[in-house]
Amino acid sequence: MTDALMQRIKNFIMEEFLPGESPDELTETTPLISGGILDSIATLKLVMFMEEQYGVTFEPHEIDKENLDNLASILRLLQSKNPTVA
Amino acid sequence: MDSTLGANPIGTRAAEANESPGRIRVRDFTTVALQLALVLLLLRQFQIESASFRLLAMLAFGGFAVHAFLPLPARLPFFSVLSLISIPMVLGIVNGAWLVAIGFVLVAVCHLPMSFRVRGLILLALGAVLIAQRAKLLPTPWSEAIWPILGSMFMFRLIVYFYDLRHDKAPVTLAQSVSYFFMLPNACFPLFPVIDFKTYRRSHYSVDAYLTYQKGIDWIVRGIVHLILYRYIYYHVTLAPSEVTGPAQLLQYLISNFLLYLRVSGLFHMVVGMLYLFGFHLPETHKRYLLAASFTDFWRRINIYWKDFMQKIFYFPAVFALKRLGTNNAIIIATLYVFLLTWMLHSYQWFWLRGSWLLAWHDMLFWVVLGALVVANSLYEIKYGRNRSLGKAALTWQRTGLTVAKTYATFWFICILWSFWTSESIADWLALWPALKGPYTVEALLFPLLSLIVIALGSVTQPIPGPAAAAGHAQRAWGRERAITVASLLALVLVSIESVHTRVGTDFATLVHSLRSGHLSRLDNAKLDRGYYEGILSVDRFNSQLWEVYSKKPSNWLDVENAGLKRFVGGFAQIDLPPSSVSITKYGTITINRWGMRDKDYAQARPAGTLRTAVLGASSVMGWGVGDGETFEALLEDRLNTEPLSAAFEHVELLNFGIPGYQPPAQLVAFDKALGFQPSAVMFVATGREISRSAAYLAEVVHKRLPIPYPELAAIVDKSGARAGMDEAAALKLLQPHGAEILRAVYERIARHCVEKGIRPVWVFLPQVREGSWQEETPETVRIAATAGFAVINLADVYQGHDIATLRLAEWDEHPNVLGHRLIADALYRALAANPAALFGTGPSGK
Repeated sequence: MTDALMQRIKNFIMEEFLPGESPDELTETTPLISGGILDSIATLKLVMFMEEQYGVTFEPHEIDKENLDNLASILRLLQSKNPTVA
Repeated sequence: MDSTLGANPIGTRAAEANESPGRIRVRDFTTVALQLALVLLLLRQFQIESASFRLLAMLAFGGFAVHAFLPLPARLPFFSVLSLISIPMVLGIVNGAWLVAIGFVLVAVCHLPMSFRVRGLILLALGAVLIAQRAKLLPTPWSEAIWPILGSMFMFRLIVYFYDLRHDKAPVTLAQSVSYFFMLPNACFPLFPVIDFKTYRRSHYSVDAYLTYQKGIDWIVRGIVHLILYRYIYYHVTLAPSEVTGPAQLLQYLISNFLLYLRVSGLFHMVVGMLYLFGFHLPETHKRYLLAASFTDFWRRINIYWKDFMQKIFYFPAVFALKRLGTNNAIIIATLYVFLLTWMLHSYQWFWLRGSWLLAWHDMLFWVVLGALVVANSLYEIKYGRNRSLGKAALTWQRTGLTVAKTYATFWFICILWSFWTSESIADWLALWPALKGPYTVEALLFPLLSLIVIALGSVTQPIPGPAAAAGHAQRAWGRERAITVASLLALVLVSIESVHTRVGTDFATLVHSLRSGHLSRLDNAKLDRGYYEGILSVDRFNSQLWEVYSKKPSNWLDVENAGLKRFVGGFAQIDLPPSSVSITKYGTITINRWGMRDKDYAQARPAGTLRTAVLGASSVMGWGVGDGETFEALLEDRLNTEPLSAAFEHVELLNFGIPGYQPPAQLVAFDKALGFQPSAVMFVATGREISRSAAYLAEVVHKRLPIPYPELAAIVDKSGARAGMDEAAALKLLQPHGAEILRAVYERIARHCVEKGIRPVWVFLPQVREGSWQEETPETVRIAATAGFAVINLADVYQGHDIATLRLAEWDEHPNVLGHRLIADALYRALAANPAALFGTGPSGK
């Protein structure tokens, strides 16, 4: 279930921000914010997507590099909000 | 960033870092230490920033040597202690103690065992008290010298700290708090990056120690390069608005004005680089901001720490609060909100650094316009996206060409917007643009072409976008960065050596010599001349070296402008000295006699057998900064009577007609007055920039619609096209080309009337008591005086062999002090002894 969740988030990022790029290049540790993939607008879009899709609510102070810099940390944050999310 | 793991030396270091964080091999430490020694040498060779900073750098680098081998838990406390030591080193023990005490109180309030709301209210109350004290509504037991640094340490960081205390659950240690607020380089810099507290904590030895230290050195060197480039721009490329007479000058003005920002990016690179030496692997402060390809790109690249601060504290909370309006609407409103706040916080920062609020229309307009552009750009990016890549993007001619075109357009637009922001007023900015109607010469292509080449090269050599740099690339990038750093260090140190740069050629040697010290540019010297800086509203003022000089000036400093030595009389000269008055200053008594001269009393009629010399000049002649009898005029008079140089006269009188603020044209009024005292000789004392000051004074006269009772000057004004009542900047632009002509008219009038009346005209060049660029007009001025018919006495070397700082009142008040006046009097006496005929004439009665 975790893999499926990560794959959905990855798909969103690929479709919205990296069209035409190879999905294999985006691993769970690829730096997204520090790597320049997610700027403030893209980060907000991702957060809004996760809120709508998974019924969670994020706080502004959670939107930072520590929580959103790669797929693994995004997943951790999401599951901390809702352990049953899939 | 070269943090990719992999089967390579960098990856190996990263793996080692995980096992023994903070450790460094002796070999690597030696490499770092040698580079730091070169950096210290470079700081000294180029006199980077202030002496205090260079001392602080020695403390930092020496501290690093100890710090690098301490057990990891001891390092942050050690860094905290080092930081605390740096404060009294720079500010003095008493001021340093007050600053630290105030800081501790503020931090302690953040940790009170109360709700965040109550703590916040207490902080606001304390802030209100400090604001009242800064505004001088309440007394303070401490010197105002601490305010800029106290402000720089707490005005923004306290906000971030409090925010993170509220939201970050990781406990905060005393060492983290102390080191965060008082961090080592801050004691020297009122302008300091807004370092995020959470990032600060998380970054501490988050990456291998050697990689971190080396990156720090890279950034320190990059910062020094920026600062040297800034000096080149500041000394040699910047123009005054009045010098913008054609398209070439306009483009030079626009680009040089923006490039002065190199000082901020240089300082910030140096500051953060120094923090790297203590294990803080912080983000970049600036990222090739000259290569921004859009307005949002520019906002993301320039002062990244400020952008991140605004994003964290204001932008994201605003978007979240507004998301019920839809994501796009929330983003738009939040972006405008951020730019409005940036404007307000800019004024807030100004208050702490300057003690007054900055409220200028063009400042607000700048942020509104930039905010609108970023919003428009953001909407475009929301709709159409922007280029991102996970790997090496294919470089095509089309893609590169488009990037270069967008970057070029963005760069020049920002230059124009920046010129608006940094103008004294909207009217001054508008006055620049008629220059486009001027002659289009080949020179007009220089800066557009140069910027195109730099942007094209920069676009082609941009670091690979996206995170997935291959291990091999990381290795090559590491090697390249080492080579650049070491090569830059060695090249700069080598070039700074006199025996090296003189071999290249005299022009190169002169250029290098000019870059090897920090002094005021010719434009800032001109502003200093006019006592002009206090009233300037230029909003990036605290990036200026002139501001730094003035920021040290105590607010209760008595200068000649506020010493009660002015009497407004209207007319061409506007002011003179109040007759029969006494002013008690900290330098001594200033007595103005019944005739309005700062001198003892004299009979109006020249006594028989007396050589009477009327000494014309400004505040240096009047003797601001010394007491009665200590002016060079008084000292020279005494000596000429006790050690006479001519038997033709029984007695010598020197009448001091010096008036503070009198520029050369106004001296005609003083000369007319002096004629009423039957002088045998007139001694005109010139102090430099006579040509520019002549033009500037006439521009002021024209602007104020004052009468010009001297036909030769009125004719020049007429010829220039300047019209009574016109804007002063516009008038100056018209009159500046006639500066030499104006000065010639003044000198010729005085010399001609002297000859007609049998008065001997003597012209004395008295250098200003400052270093730096102010002497460029002297040779021409000397020629004009000699051609007009004056006997010339050139005291250019009067201060030779003396430290300039010991001869003036203060760094911000460069009038000669008691010692300076003695040197002038002695030099004048020697010059007159060598050529007594200049003053005394050649005949038996001096004729």
